[in-house]
Amino acid sequence: MTPLRLIALAIAALALATLPYWMSGIYYVNVASQILFFAVFALGLNVLAGYGGLVSLGHAALFGISAYATGYILQAGFGHPVAIIGALVVGVASMALYAVLSLRSTGIGFIMITLALGEILWGLAYRWISVTNGDNGINLHGRPAPFGIELNTATAFYYTTLVVFALAVVMVAIFVRSPLGAALKGTRDQPRRMNALGYHVWAIRFWACLFSGLLTSLSGILFVYYTQFISPQTLALTSSAEVLLMVISGGAGTLLGPIVGAGLVVIVKSVVSGFLERWNFLLGAIFVAIVILMPEGLVPGTARLWRLAWRRARGGGAPS
Amino acid sequence: MSALTVTDLRKSFGGLRVTKGVNLNVAPGERRLIIGPNGAGKTTLFNLITGELTPDAGSIELFGTNITRVPSRRRPHMGMARTYQIITLFPQDTIIHNVSLALLGLTPMRWNPLTDMRRQSRLTEQAHAALARVGLGHIAERPLSQTSYGERRRVEIAMALAQNPKLLLLDEPFAGLSIDERRDVQQLLLAIPRDVTIVMIEHNMDVALEFAERITLLHFGEVIVEGNRAEVVADPRTREVYLGH
Repeated sequence: MTPLRLIALAIAALALATLPYWMSGIYYVNVASQILFFAVFALGLNVLAGYGGLVSLGHAALFGISAYATGYILQAGFGHPVAIIGALVVGVASMALYAVLSLRSTGIGFIMITLALGEILWGLAYRWISVTNGDNGINLHGRPAPFGIELNTATAFYYTTLVVFALAVVMVAIFVRSPLGAALKGTRDQPRRMNALGYHVWAIRFWACLFSGLLTSLSGILFVYYTQFISPQTLALTSSAEVLLMVISGGAGTLLGPIVGAGLVVIVKSVVSGFLERWNFLLGAIFVAIVILMPEGLVPGTARLWRLAWRRARGGGAPS
Repeated sequence: MSALTVTDLRKSFGGLRVTKGVNLNVAPGERRLIIGPNGAGKTTLFNLITGELTPDAGSIELFGTNITRVPSRRRPHMGMARTYQIITLFPQDTIIHNVSLALLGLTPMRWNPLTDMRRQSRLTEQAHAALARVGLGHIAERPLSQTSYGERRRVEIAMALAQNPKLLLLDEPFAGLSIDERRDVQQLLLAIPRDVTIVMIEHNMDVALEFAERITLLHFGEVIVEGNRAEVVADPRTREVYLGH
């Protein structure tokens, strides 16, 4: 890692660690929590869409399954540890089933299968009222208290989310540098060649799906503890599209991209919407601008512009 | 025991019969050249041998083992490697990463999600050695996108050789190369030790004839001539369907 990156990382870590102390108001601390758990969700989707070239339009359903599972297990009278572990197991198992069905195809086929699966699950959540309570959703009562620390305050919940977020970033960073991560990127770029080199392309994609499912489930659990409520809207296509936009706008196939994308979407939705009635229009305009000016996403696009500016400033030399 | 035995291999795409009962027997260490006009079914034959296509009938044996139903991804683990007519590499990565991926494909480490691939010193050393073998050691860290066509051809061969194959299938390795590049690749292929059996598809007869010991002429999915260089060149059917004079 270059010194510049180390400094940037240290500043970002310090800013995140001290955020509740310099951010004015509980509302903004809660917004930061939202950014972090949606960033975990986007990181999960990025494993598939960015590193694996498998664009899913049904990921919100998996996010919702783990959130519903948390609610059910708690309603059944079990404690928070059982609810969290159970939701993770249900989420990853659902992803496994999802993968078996959707990995029969790639490209448009994969998108359509995941879209269809997402719609089926949304339909079930919406219409199977005896189980899901339909549009009324399921309410949760209380948050866990790990090591005796109550998570009912915005600050405590923020720090918990920050720990999970940091864990997710480290997990993804390790994965993408690993042989399995390199193999996944290989299957994205040249699946035929990877097969001819002795790789089991389907199995590599399947493991990537499980990893993505784990991150998605983690974010779903954080979401349901944050909102204390889960309804079919969470599983809707718009939610899947939103997280996909986080990944694409920030930069698919990069570690930082989905985090920046999550920040962008959550800030426009939660902060700008307070000042601007037609915030959807603004979000759409931002995405159009990104696609036109930085089709590779904000993070790689900014890096490209930075390199270009550096070369011009140095009279054609490359940045160190 | 033959290195490669193909028996009565058949393949159709709908009503189009592209491989019509091909028989092939390649001895260990042999340099075999497959020639034929465009559409003769040469690359289809390679795809059948490597398992990328499933034959309708017939069998394929690799050193006495029937591999007809073995999945294509398992065949490199059994000693089969190939290059492609259209260069199929990973352009976003460096040359050494491309070769490392080839090496990794045959090791259980490819399933490892925890270790840093760049810190696998043994893998890196082997990749450097494979690149040195094809004369690309000095540009190992260069992104593939910044290499010439000839260098990419050599990367393809380095990837195949890195897997220590017993049978190497080369699909038009001289295609698109300049005279100098052609000479380099020719030297490279001539230096491959005899424990590697080579089957090569090639149109450039100047370089290919010098390399091959036996030649198989395919035409409309059938073997119509087979023999040593002199026999095949002298055969009137070769002149009629391929050499054209």
